[in-house]
Amino acid sequence: MNAIAAVPAVVAAPSSGEKGVRIFVVIGRLVLAGIFLFASYSKMKPQIPVPWTVNSVETSLSMFAMQVDSYQMLPPSQVLRVAHFLPPFELFLGLWLLSGIAPRASTTLTLLVLTGFFALMIRTYALGLSINCGCFGTAEQVGPRKIFEDGSFFAFALLVTVGSYWLHRVKSRRIAAPPQPVS
Amino acid sequence: MDNFMQSFRRETARSVSLRRLLAVSALGLALSLINIAAFARATDKAAKPASTAKAASAAKSVENISAPVKTYGSKNAPITLEVFGDYECPSCGAFYETTLRQMINNEVAAGKVYIVHRDFPLTMHKYGYEAARWANAAASIGRFAEAESALYDNQNYWAESGNIEKYMAAALSPADMRRVKALMAGCDASVPPGSHSCPWDAYIEQDRALGNQIPVQATPTFLIYYKGQKFPAGQGVVSYTVLKQFFDQLLKQ
Repeated sequence: MNAIAAVPAVVAAPSSGEKGVRIFVVIGRLVLAGIFLFASYSKMKPQIPVPWTVNSVETSLSMFAMQVDSYQMLPPSQVLRVAHFLPPFELFLGLWLLSGIAPRASTTLTLLVLTGFFALMIRTYALGLSINCGCFGTAEQVGPRKIFEDGSFFAFALLVTVGSYWLHRVKSRRIAAPPQPVS
Repeated sequence: MDNFMQSFRRETARSVSLRRLLAVSALGLALSLINIAAFARATDKAAKPASTAKAASAAKSVENISAPVKTYGSKNAPITLEVFGDYECPSCGAFYETTLRQMINNEVAAGKVYIVHRDFPLTMHKYGYEAARWANAAASIGRFAEAESALYDNQNYWAESGNIEKYMAAALSPADMRRVKALMAGCDASVPPGSHSCPWDAYIEQDRALGNQIPVQATPTFLIYYKGQKFPAGQGVVSYTVLKQFFDQLLKQ
């Protein structure tokens, strides 16, 4: 009887290029996580010196609703919904990016969100609305500088997302095609 | 002989005194005439340029005018909304028509909100500064609400023609309009902003200085105070529903 020994799968070592991309994607994910966590924090933190409470967070979200409303894009009922949804969603997205779970999905969602923000900045500027961005809770007016900033975030997220997909593809190929033994 | 000499000396002394008196009187008269002539010349000079005369009258009126009250509601309201606006700015008009008017009728009337208007006329607007002068003049006689309403309701019209007076006259009673017109002496459209001849420019500049401290980057910009605590400045048109929701949330605290 021939015993079949369990042979551990041999996976080829990643190339130096792959290592470089992996480092870039990990750092990129952490940077994007930081951006979203800070954006969420700045919208939910008490806007006046009072302790953090459910009520103070509610007040901050109501204040953020005024900034969402100034974009003149949604009816008031929708404005209130968006304002109460967006900061907790940014918190969730930041934590997800930080965790490293399902990186392709998290970076893709981040890219979609940043595409939306970038498009919104361009629309606002094109309409000539003189309003605060509301992005990080401070008084940053929508203008060329803000568009450049959001465009940079979008481009960065695009690179990180492409990197995530590329890494996944390369890793899959390496596993599917184990290295040939050297004679 | 002695008697004659004494009487002669007395007569001579008297005539010297008389001459001295005459000389002094003549000098006094001459000085008076010079003075009168100089005064007449000065008066004539002052009467020639109309702006100088108006400036004098404006300066005189500054002593008599009351400070413009550009507020709605009670100072004791828990929430204060301070709005920096330009009467010619379309967003300010939209903010007033869609939000502030309802806020004045409801929350201000209920004693929950106190609204303070601050003038921040932008240089890009041709008649914004002049409109602010009219509003300040009306505010000084307690007719700010009527003036602000008239300015925003008819913004499209006077922003085209520059005829602000027409819409102010329609909004105020004839007696009030006469008072406001009198208070606008020295505030011709030709008078540059920040002029000393127009008493309202000082108030407008005072508001502007407050705005620059924030700093106001565009109009409308608004500040909200709740029980003495100041929230970060808001900017742009915010709907009544959303602003009211924020105020309700504040009042729940």
